[in-house]
Amino acid sequence: MIDTLEKCVEYGESLGAEAVEARYDDLVLRTLHRTDDVWKDIEVKSRSGVGVSCYYEGVSGFSFTASTDWADVKQAAERAFKMARASSGAATLRLPFDRGTAVESRPSDTVRVRAHPRDHDLAFKTGLVNRMVESAREHGADIRNVRGLYGELYGRKTLVNSDGSHIDWEFLVTDLRCVVTSRTDSGALVTGSEGYGGTFGLEFFSTDGHTPEDIGREAGLRAKEQLRAHPCPAGRMRALVENHLVGVLAHESFGHLSEADFIVTGGSPLTGKIGEKLGTEHTTIVDTGTPDVKAYGGLWVPYDDQGTPADRTVVLDHGTLEHYLHNRGTAKHLGQRPTGNARAVTFAFPPIPRMTNTFFVPGDLTEEEALELLGTGVYAVQTQGGQVEGDGSFLFKAIRGYWVENGEVKYPVREVSLSGNILELLGRVEGATKELKLFSGYFGGCGKGGQSPLPVGLGGPMLVMDGVVFGGRAS
Amino acid sequence: MDYDSIKDGLLSVVDSALKYGSSADPDAEFEVYVCYQSSAEAEITQGVVAAKSGVVAGNAVRVAKGRRVGFACSSGATSERVKLSIREALGIVHGVSVEDERFPGFVEPRPPGREGVLADSILELDVETLVRDCQRIVEEAKATDGRVVMVSAEASAGWGGYAVGNTNGVMAASRGGLNLCTAYVMTKVGEERKTGLGFDIARDRAYNVDGIGRDATSEAASQHGASPFDATTTMTTVWSPRAAGAFLLASVGRSTLGRPVVEGVSPLCDHIGEQMASKALTIYDDGQDPVGLNTQAVDAEGSPQKKNVVIERGVLKGFLFDHYHAKVFGVESTGNCARGRELFGGNAPYESSPSVGTKGLVVKEGRRSPDDLIASVDGKAVLITEMPIGIFHSNIATGEFSAVATSAFLVVNGSVEHPLRSVSVAGHFYDGLRELASIGSDTTLTPFGVTVPTMVFEGFSVTG
Repeated sequence: MIDTLEKCVEYGESLGAEAVEARYDDLVLRTLHRTDDVWKDIEVKSRSGVGVSCYYEGVSGFSFTASTDWADVKQAAERAFKMARASSGAATLRLPFDRGTAVESRPSDTVRVRAHPRDHDLAFKTGLVNRMVESAREHGADIRNVRGLYGELYGRKTLVNSDGSHIDWEFLVTDLRCVVTSRTDSGALVTGSEGYGGTFGLEFFSTDGHTPEDIGREAGLRAKEQLRAHPCPAGRMRALVENHLVGVLAHESFGHLSEADFIVTGGSPLTGKIGEKLGTEHTTIVDTGTPDVKAYGGLWVPYDDQGTPADRTVVLDHGTLEHYLHNRGTAKHLGQRPTGNARAVTFAFPPIPRMTNTFFVPGDLTEEEALELLGTGVYAVQTQGGQVEGDGSFLFKAIRGYWVENGEVKYPVREVSLSGNILELLGRVEGATKELKLFSGYFGGCGKGGQSPLPVGLGGPMLVMDGVVFGGRAS
Repeated sequence: MDYDSIKDGLLSVVDSALKYGSSADPDAEFEVYVCYQSSAEAEITQGVVAAKSGVVAGNAVRVAKGRRVGFACSSGATSERVKLSIREALGIVHGVSVEDERFPGFVEPRPPGREGVLADSILELDVETLVRDCQRIVEEAKATDGRVVMVSAEASAGWGGYAVGNTNGVMAASRGGLNLCTAYVMTKVGEERKTGLGFDIARDRAYNVDGIGRDATSEAASQHGASPFDATTTMTTVWSPRAAGAFLLASVGRSTLGRPVVEGVSPLCDHIGEQMASKALTIYDDGQDPVGLNTQAVDAEGSPQKKNVVIERGVLKGFLFDHYHAKVFGVESTGNCARGRELFGGNAPYESSPSVGTKGLVVKEGRRSPDDLIASVDGKAVLITEMPIGIFHSNIATGEFSAVATSAFLVVNGSVEHPLRSVSVAGHFYDGLRELASIGSDTTLTPFGVTVPTMVFEGFSVTG
């Protein structure tokens, strides 16, 4: 396939493109979904095709084809070039980029795992889900419904560009998760969930704390605990925010605002604020495509979809804004280095600035010290996701939580929403715990510009903060 | 393929795939879905232009052997790619002994419904025209108000079709298309940033660019000078169509779908025939409105699309089903099988296994204008004019929701006093429907594909 991509780049350049990148994805996606005793989905998807970007006078055109025939790829290159040229006259802000040094990928760019999902049959994977669901049933109470999910996404990503780069590596993400719905005496439905996903081989699901039995048990016990949970009080309060939710804060509320396409257009409130103090000393936010997955979890993305190698970008350094997340055009325009953040959700989309693994850097508190620092407030745990507006307003859902008084956990609270404005909240972070945890997976993922779901990683330590608005209900 | 020949082309691929499947395993049942969508998109954001065009083509196969069911799909709509999916799906049913005890077989043949209309102009829209229209939107937005600091304009056009067939004799196809333009505008006063949205979407006519940029700018500008809402209280909330559309889709739009109903996760599942909402509320889902955005002759598994009443004068009348969930529930499909999110982000529908989706929720309008509804507010209320963020992150099982309204205004004794800084609105979806105080006459097609007027609710809590 490299030959076809090379021809495609040459052809685009011969038409007059200043730069061309041609990508080929050949990916397999597998989803297993069991609800109670019914298998809702046993699916396999083959996603292969070519995406071509042509750059002309700082404007890009993009086309794609599900075919690998040269005639179709050539036509895609021609369409991409013609669109770039036709759009050029309308552009008042151009994002040209310099050709860079050619990059050659190495075999070590692909994570080697002991139990690759391609080497295990379907029965093994349905077995993981069955074990998890049985464990959830054993440990839950008043169960209305148990869902078990398994997902895998793997395969080759190949890229050739006008730098002369030849990149060929294998993407991998696996995921196992469980959701238990229980019913209270009054008829209300509550949920408990647990799961792990990331660039793991299947051996991960036989390690301590991550087995199907462990995951099912945790989901069951959490739903059971929710049966006696109280509604969360509403209003502005102190909060201890757990690792996963901290990751959503890093990704949704801050990370998107640091994506440089929102910066060059002035849409982000972080525009023009490099060097400004935005948060307390406890707020350092990093994005990297190559985290230590074995130690912390997360997603392995050694190259982005423009062929830029992954970087470790300190976006916020002890509260000071240091860097944005770039594609090559935005980096050149803003005079920063490319960060390896140009990603496309499939071959049918152009690469745009996206996150890889985005997380708060840990501090020095133990969990006990964090609870003590919290004093009285809400300990918010796990998340269903969140949403952010262009001005930094956000809303996240914690799946569950605890009411804490004077550093002591008193009782569980129901699903609760946290909201505020990130730029105000960063200034009220008072401390961070020691441990770093990264979360990723096949299910969920990030959405932007119609490109969803893109696997990402996120996480951090636990953070203590003041002045979080909890939605709850009026008392 | 062109629009006129697309159905024949796709049906021919489906037909040969079914023959291939039956020869590969004569004891298995097969369902084959093939789609082809041509699209062109242009976007201008602060002078940065991006354009994209291409053809999304793909196929999906379900194979059943007894009650063992496998799903496989692949990109590409050629016979070779469909054969790959057939082999993969057969591999699933041959490879595991997992059975779905409730599997009712595939759809039986029934006469199709009607396709929606399509304006010829949509077939002719090219990227150059789309870029020009984006330029017009940007110019209009900037000319409307000097406080505009960011404009993003998008224009797109797409058309396509799909064919679906199975070994029960279903062999059907449907076509459609639409064109869409949007403006997203940010205005800034000091450090206060506000945003507004303008859009037009249609399948029966060319979109109308005029007014899109102006509307977005006006909406953003109207929110400046916002004051904090320093209280936590239960009060009246007035939801403009875009906000009400989001509320409805997040609540009824999800809890009346076959899957949560059959799984017992929907709180509505045991309440057919009961008064679940105010008598003012009538909701139907229309898969046959000629100008409806999701109108097709058949749904994504070959059942005819229909118009289905969901709530009539507050009484829960019915749910929305595909074939599978309908049979488990003991009824017939309502023609609501969907693959992926058809309207938004549904770039590769073939990658989603058949599920249940709304085709076009419509709330029957009331008699009073939105101004009249606001004028009749006694005491204080909050007017919400855009989708509150986080409303789709609510849990349909519990019915509890909590969302943040970033575009909100304080109403006092019948008049809109001033914009509010973000307020959190929380409550219970289904209590809210019972406490629905009134419905406006301003039925509007919202960006969510829901057609809904202004709605006034009592009993939600609002936190500043």
